[in-house]
Amino acid sequence: MSQTQSVQQAASEKGWEPRIVAFLCNWCSYAGADLAGVSRIQYPHNIRIIRVPCSGRINPAFLLRALQNGADGVLVSGCHPGDCHYISGNLVARRRFSLLKDLLQYVGIEPERVQFTWVSASEGGRFAAIVEKVVEQVRHLGPNRKLVKTL
Amino acid sequence: MTEKRISHTDLEGLLGRLGERGDVFAPGKDEGGDVVLMGPRHDGPVALDYRNFRLSPKAFLLPQNQTLIRFEDGKAQEPSVPDRETFLFGVRPCDARAMSALDKVFLEADPPDPYYAQLRAKTAVIALACTQPVSSCFCTSVGGGPGDGAGADVLAVELESELLLRPRTAKGEEVLAFLGDLLTEATPAAVKEADERIRAAEDRIAPVKIDDSVQRLGHAYDSPLWEAAGQKCLGCGICSFLCPTCHCFDITDEVRGGTGRRVRTWDCCAFPLFTLHASGHNPRPTPKERWRQRVMHKFRYAVENFEQVFCVGCGRCVRNCPAGMDLRTLLKTIGA
Amino acid sequence: MTASHEIETLLRETAEKLLREKKVNLFLGYEKASLPFRTAPLFLTAPEDAQRLAWNPFCSANLAVYLPRLFKAPADAREAALAAPPTVGMVLKGCDARSVVALIQERQLQREKLVLVGVACPGMVDMLKAQRAVRGCEVLGAGEDAQGNVRAVVEDGTEVTLRRAEILADACQECRTPMPSIRDIMLGTAVENKDTGVARQRTAEFGSKPLDARWACFQAMLSKCIRCNACRQACPMCYCKDCLLDQTRPKWVSAGSDISDVTIYHLVRAFHMAGRCTQCGACARACPVGIDARLLARKLSQEVEDLYGYRPGEGIEATPPLSTFAMDDPQEFLTEPSLIPAPYHPAGEAQQGGRAQ
Repeated sequence: MSQTQSVQQAASEKGWEPRIVAFLCNWCSYAGADLAGVSRIQYPHNIRIIRVPCSGRINPAFLLRALQNGADGVLVSGCHPGDCHYISGNLVARRRFSLLKDLLQYVGIEPERVQFTWVSASEGGRFAAIVEKVVEQVRHLGPNRKLVKTL
Repeated sequence: MTEKRISHTDLEGLLGRLGERGDVFAPGKDEGGDVVLMGPRHDGPVALDYRNFRLSPKAFLLPQNQTLIRFEDGKAQEPSVPDRETFLFGVRPCDARAMSALDKVFLEADPPDPYYAQLRAKTAVIALACTQPVSSCFCTSVGGGPGDGAGADVLAVELESELLLRPRTAKGEEVLAFLGDLLTEATPAAVKEADERIRAAEDRIAPVKIDDSVQRLGHAYDSPLWEAAGQKCLGCGICSFLCPTCHCFDITDEVRGGTGRRVRTWDCCAFPLFTLHASGHNPRPTPKERWRQRVMHKFRYAVENFEQVFCVGCGRCVRNCPAGMDLRTLLKTIGA
Repeated sequence: MTASHEIETLLRETAEKLLREKKVNLFLGYEKASLPFRTAPLFLTAPEDAQRLAWNPFCSANLAVYLPRLFKAPADAREAALAAPPTVGMVLKGCDARSVVALIQERQLQREKLVLVGVACPGMVDMLKAQRAVRGCEVLGAGEDAQGNVRAVVEDGTEVTLRRAEILADACQECRTPMPSIRDIMLGTAVENKDTGVARQRTAEFGSKPLDARWACFQAMLSKCIRCNACRQACPMCYCKDCLLDQTRPKWVSAGSDISDVTIYHLVRAFHMAGRCTQCGACARACPVGIDARLLARKLSQEVEDLYGYRPGEGIEATPPLSTFAMDDPQEFLTEPSLIPAPYHPAGEAQQGGRAQ
């Protein structure tokens, strides 16, 4: 049995649930998540939301810290390109995120653990669908053991 | 104190016997082909063809990451220290001597440092005299030597076909007694051979005239040489971290919710932030002040405080500085 | 290519002239160090000292690292009252020139205060590789022969020839621009810039391992790290007065050798090099425990080149890629929701609400 499979098995046996930290931009994605809630669209509870003014605010160190502190996955979401409340924050962030994902995958961190997307304020259903997808993918991977720091 | 000897071929057996009592660390080749202090040993050949290890063994007494206290939900616990002994075999005399310097800092303090004391008490050091110094060695110029045994419990000397074992402390005597039948009494010929080999090694070390550096440093505070030397310094921690006598540390708390630990980590006076005050003022703002402090600390303040130069001439700082800085060059000319 | 000793003579003459004519206040170069297989940086102010300058296979340090501190903006009135930044002359290889260009782009240097003396670099020797090549024997001295190879005198007096190609630094083996892209004076003959493809090959080699094997290899490499910060301090592009990795409020990364902190240190530093690292190899050269500090930044450099068509250090007018954007930047890395999502049922509850797509 591969290492991943045995980790998964151990995790599912103990009733482990993935913990995903989501960094959502205030103007689009957070509003989109709020819309999902208001519309009573159900989505997995495994997600903890942190609101930021803009996806351009995201420092890669945030994601790394989340993983270090035990998050099993990280989701970052911002406005669609062209719709950023601050005009170009998400456009600058897009380059950053692309490189960050490449770097983490290169060193051997599962790409499904760090995911990026655009969700607008009107896309409550889309937000829920994305969360569902991310949670399922991380559940399949098992608990995050890489980068975690045990105190 | 009676000297013993053991044949080279029985060395692994000696380490094996020590292994029954504690964790043994002895020189071995890593994947890169470098000889490092490896362990805990189980078996296998001991690599004796080395000059010195790249890193000093001070991490055995002053780990780079040392948890001092753990706390959980408001309750603190001292971390448990395993009571198994540690045997370090193959430590060079310079590194062993450095341990005696660290002892002065940590054990003669009031109160003594309990974390250091715990590790020191359970560690036995079997130093291995040098027969082949390198050009960056200068132990003889700072009060040490290739056959110096200060800081070690036993000094081993490689002879033609055997190892001479010279106890240096009561603990060393006890260890040799424990090894009992594995050892035989050292013959006067063996002792003579050991002394000759050590003397031959001493002769190969180029002396550096730094015995009066303490006095010269006393009136060299404003010398322009500090600026000239310091401007090359990059401000990394290689010299301090590799130095067997450097011991500055930082203590931080790492907390996650109500759980965490208090950790001691190595620090370096060459780091630009070493003396940064909370106000933003930094009394050592440029490499010049930091380099001056480093040399003064090791060659003057340490002598004033501990009657020992805090440099054992191992040469690691010289060999590893990315800016090619050489302490010896400055010491020869400062305050002259 | 012009022989080293000729370059050395030309360099000494040039530096001496620049200092004597007061075209520069300070000349940065290399001098013989106290141990073989290396040189030390030399800060020259007196024209007569120009004879100390050396040019040999061991001039591998990137001197551009000293420039930001020379041109540091004064922090307060007291500092401003001190001497104005000097006019600095320096000898430049291809990699050093790339760093100077990148620093000028980031406004850390004033171009008009620099007199750049360029040399086409034949590639420099890696100290560790040279030491391994003599199998740990003590080397008393090392020089260069007519073919550009290294002649080392070993402790028993014998001479050994080490082929330069076999002990070249990794960064030099991968270098695509040995010609300084920026210079005021050129010493010796020019060379063709060419791409040997070695860099891509090495990046691909690591990348071709399975995911968990990459992680294991990465962690094994970093387990040697002692957090001395030499990689950062030797890097010309790491000039931040308050490095993120030193901050205490918040403490992004703890000090010490915990492997998780070590990993984050290297990941963050590599990421800060995206689009800025000029592949000079100063980091790997400085590392006392032999970590290949270039592994991550090299990968990111290639990504930046592939995604945004940018190569750092080659044009002063270029805009650093991470401070700009294009509307059509690639975004295949994004997550899209599944096309036909399955309805989500929280355990024990009946389906509520639809899913609008």
